Amino acid sequence: MDGGTALARVTQGGERSFTKEIQKLTLGKGEEFHGEGILAVTKALLQSGVSYVGGYPGAPMSHLIDVLADASDEILEPMGITYEQSASEAGAASLLSASVHYPLRGAVTWKSVVGTNVASDALSNLASTGVKGGSLIILGDDYGEGSSIMQERTYTFAMKSSIPLMDPRYDMERMVDLTEHCFEISEASNMPVFLNMRIRACHLTGSFITKDNKIAEFNANNPIPEQIYDVSKIVLPPASYQHEIAKFEERLPAAAKYAQENNINEVFPGAGGRLGIITQGGTYTVVMRALQRLGAADAFGNSDIPVYCMNMVYPLVTDEIVNFMNDKDSVLIVEEGNPNYIETQIAEIAHRKQLDCRVHGKDMLPMAGEYVSNVVREGVAQYLAEEGPEDIGKTALDKNTVIQAKTQQAQSYLPGPMPPRPPSFCTGCPERPIMAALKLLMKERGKFHISMDIGCNLFGSLPPFNVGNTVLGYGLSLASSGAIGPALDQPNVAVMGDGGFWHNGFTSGVVNTRWNKYDSVLVILDNGYAAATGQHKVPSTGATPRGMASLLSIEDALKGVGVKWIKHVNSYSLEATIDVLREAMNARGDGLRVVISNNECMLARQRREKPAKAAALKAGQRVAHEKFGVDEEVCTGDHSCMRLSGCPSLTLKQSADPLKATPVAHVDETCVACGNCGEVAHAAQLCPSFYKAEAIQNAGVLRQFSSAINRSLLSMMGAK
Amino acid sequence: MNEIKVTSTIDRPVCLLLGALGGQGGGVLIDWLVDAAKRAGYPAQATSTPGVAQRTGATTYYFELFPEKNPPAQPIFTFFPASGDLDLMIAMEPTEAGRAIERGFVTDCTTVITATERVYSTAEKVSAGDGRIDAAPIIEALGKATKNLIQLDVKALSAGTAARGNAIAFGAIIGTGILPLTAEECRASITEKGVAVESNIAGFDIGLKAADADPQPTSTEGGLTHNAAPESFTSDIAAFPASTHDIIGYGIARLIDYQNEAYAQLYLTRLKTVCDVDTGENKKLTSEVASHLARWMSYEDVIRVGQLKTRPGRLSQIRAELGVDAGVPLKVTDYFKPGRDEFLSALPKSLSWLVPNLGNGIALHIQTGSFTGYAMLKFMAALKPLRSKSAQYLEEQEAIEQWLDAVAKTAAVDNDLAIRTSNLAIMARGYGRVRKTGLTKLNEIFADWHDNLASNPAGLSAGVDQSILLAHANPDEA
Repeated sequence: MDGGTALARVTQGGERSFTKEIQKLTLGKGEEFHGEGILAVTKALLQSGVSYVGGYPGAPMSHLIDVLADASDEILEPMGITYEQSASEAGAASLLSASVHYPLRGAVTWKSVVGTNVASDALSNLASTGVKGGSLIILGDDYGEGSSIMQERTYTFAMKSSIPLMDPRYDMERMVDLTEHCFEISEASNMPVFLNMRIRACHLTGSFITKDNKIAEFNANNPIPEQIYDVSKIVLPPASYQHEIAKFEERLPAAAKYAQENNINEVFPGAGGRLGIITQGGTYTVVMRALQRLGAADAFGNSDIPVYCMNMVYPLVTDEIVNFMNDKDSVLIVEEGNPNYIETQIAEIAHRKQLDCRVHGKDMLPMAGEYVSNVVREGVAQYLAEEGPEDIGKTALDKNTVIQAKTQQAQSYLPGPMPPRPPSFCTGCPERPIMAALKLLMKERGKFHISMDIGCNLFGSLPPFNVGNTVLGYGLSLASSGAIGPALDQPNVAVMGDGGFWHNGFTSGVVNTRWNKYDSVLVILDNGYAAATGQHKVPSTGATPRGMASLLSIEDALKGVGVKWIKHVNSYSLEATIDVLREAMNARGDGLRVVISNNECMLARQRREKPAKAAALKAGQRVAHEKFGVDEEVCTGDHSCMRLSGCPSLTLKQSADPLKATPVAHVDETCVACGNCGEVAHAAQLCPSFYKAEAIQNAGVLRQFSSAINRSLLSMMGAK
Repeated sequence: MNEIKVTSTIDRPVCLLLGALGGQGGGVLIDWLVDAAKRAGYPAQATSTPGVAQRTGATTYYFELFPEKNPPAQPIFTFFPASGDLDLMIAMEPTEAGRAIERGFVTDCTTVITATERVYSTAEKVSAGDGRIDAAPIIEALGKATKNLIQLDVKALSAGTAARGNAIAFGAIIGTGILPLTAEECRASITEKGVAVESNIAGFDIGLKAADADPQPTSTEGGLTHNAAPESFTSDIAAFPASTHDIIGYGIARLIDYQNEAYAQLYLTRLKTVCDVDTGENKKLTSEVASHLARWMSYEDVIRVGQLKTRPGRLSQIRAELGVDAGVPLKVTDYFKPGRDEFLSALPKSLSWLVPNLGNGIALHIQTGSFTGYAMLKFMAALKPLRSKSAQYLEEQEAIEQWLDAVAKTAAVDNDLAIRTSNLAIMARGYGRVRKTGLTKLNEIFADWHDNLASNPAGLSAGVDQSILLAHANPDEA
């Protein structure tokens, strides 16, 4: 955020603290770690002797970046570990370049598949060159329930760039062990390695016995003596042809060999027999529980059916698969996501090796969607029933039928569908009034197409606003509007957050717009953070994640590339905001018009202000307690205020008035007095039922006195 | 390679699903459970899918605990709740419990603990009518579908304390006895976590007791307040069917408050014309019209708003809402934006040329908490005697008569259609532009009413339903 306020704000610090987590990262040999999955992986990095760590935040792996940022003084600097929150995933991936020539271990992280998309330019080059030092890419796989992105598989990237892909079994001890193995696999195969972590795995809790953190031989405190030049590492012909050959003749086989020698993949032989299940490490526990529910396994994973658990899902270890399938009549491949790469590769192996073993997979399990417990149970039940010996098959089928019947029975009692609850703007969010302004502007001048961006702003596309038409990627809203404006004979209109601006919006959007002379309106929601991922700092926040003051100004950047029309709005002043937006829309012929809203993310502000207020109140200092309210008698009950707000604190209440057929509006106690509801009532000329109340606690003597006089005058007029 | 040979009599972990909305403290509750399990020495695992759902959306947490200390091997813990073996489902909101059934997780082996107070979704709020989903049938379904249902009226349970729903739910979880954790272990976890320890322990203890208590009827929101009419109207009211007396009494009281007794008499006269042709057994038409007519006749103009905003008791109610007593300085700002029409409403038509065009209206922030602002609103309220000469008054009365006439004529032909026609009065709502649009629409509908009633009653009927549907579902586009 511009104007100097940002610096003052972030240097106050203390918005969030990870002190407890940092202590866990310093645990030594033989101690017990207890905590979240992604933190356990972070500890594994420190135990593996990394020299550098980087990444770009995003659920579900943001925690890794947050904790390391806070730990930089205490842990990273003494160990000589270089750390950065990169400006984008491409930047993070580029860090791995340090491991091309030098024996440095490094790890980077981001949300996948979106982050991997952004990083893929660097990744393709890196994978072609190959690495010397162990290089790990930790992917927060945002797939299935709780995901906020398109549903795609990261496996494709592993195959196309020949990058080994780990999908660990989620037992914390094993997960940490496998993370450490990743560096060895990388060094054995000269390839970077993907470590895939599902949402629920990042957030799972568990324990493991720690080792001492390991300081790398070479690090920022003990630099490498000299640089290395080797033309064979440059991705140009003829080296690039050699790289391609090396991938398939040397690197991938080396990864498979390492995996085989170190028991990376696991066979759980169970009771033996002629059936078998092959699954990704990440779905192992789901499969085991499905077997337990179908009467084919106990609580500890002792199963009637042998299971081959692939903790490394690419490349496949052909010998292990042949061994597993050799004595089986059939196998079921439980492979989440599509395309079903694992299944097709195994089918090819079976075909080439002429194995007499039927391969089942997506014929019994759904092509799309997360492999949650019920889905896997259904598929495994079908497999056991069709392929299994009579006793196992019948038990499975009977148990499955009972579960289905009981579920349907329970569902039959429900009166109707439950209300959907998509994510939305938080109470008091400064982006909400922008969406209201756009909606009101559309009432005035007709609807226009708006290109939205990644981040909280995208919630404007959902009810009650419905003002975003398309979304194409992070920082790409302006670029994606290029052909839309001319097609609809309107200016290109794009909304973008400050996160999106710095990620890609400035170059792909603003620069492109200037260069190609777009007739564009860009609305930048500068709330000070990449807020949707959990209040992450961006270049214009005012400080780096490590707390070093650093302010890049959005406005200066715009001016630097010649943008002339820049106006700031205080989004909480709704009518003034509408005026500026209208002016921007009308200024056709003026090139790019940028409207910047500068209000801070309300979650961040409340995190800072709430405790400060509580402390001030306790200390007897003056504190204003503000809240909005609705006069129930005045409220018309047509809820037009809700259709322009969507604020969680603006809700419904049964009216005590028998003449009111509908519930009235009500502002609950979570209101933060941002004022949007009153502004909306003004701008849209709604009913005058909103009021703002402000109580001054621990008021000064003078205020007390004037208030007392005011009260007596009021009471003379009959007020109570 | 990984041969496991163990035996135990326990064949699966205890499984617990928590459904909450962002900001309800679900994450903290799960942290307490994980810590308590570790403290007690049981293997356990929790996971969640916060993601962007933490931004006010629905989210779930899942917890598994193996009810045997030091089991012979590491039990398998998994990530997803499933059908048929979920032991406990905790919902911080009743439709989130409903959602757990919807998704197939709740069966007859599940004990459900649910908070009973609704948190309305955006979809429910934006309806112009009553879009709320009733919790009662969901609670009823939960009662039938589950092994045991525990309802937590968090507001009532926490009254007078700072306890929050998540701590109360934690207590209730332990109160069911399904998890082998003791209250002491759980209190220690709350203390260890160090977040609002005192109020959370209090909440935990409240929940612990609530789990054992008999199911309490859900506290409903305050009932209807039927102000009665003055006694002088008793005989007038008696002329109407008994089933309509309450609502008519309320209508009379409302209109006396709004204008005067004569205005209330006008109300009765108007109502009589409809009542006389109401052939329905339950006199539903009469009570519907009684309600719509009273509401319409007390349309809100600046005089009425001034009156309501200076109502005795309003300031003390605001103080109560803020939780501050009478001595604390209080500032109340009312948001007003009267346009030309709103000023006209208070003036006789002959003076309308006095009021300039105000564009979109003048945005006023009236300091009702100060004596000057209060006096200004009091002055507006005092214009009441001028109301019946005002332009808006005349316009509204004309529209009312037109509507009543249509309803009465229709009742002679089709009582049911007359009831639905009376409901068109909902289109006379709001202020400024919204109200203007509504009245214009009504005028269009009723212009050829008599001809249409004779020539095309079916088309008329469909048109009425369509108008009402639009007025509720798509009010801004209607």
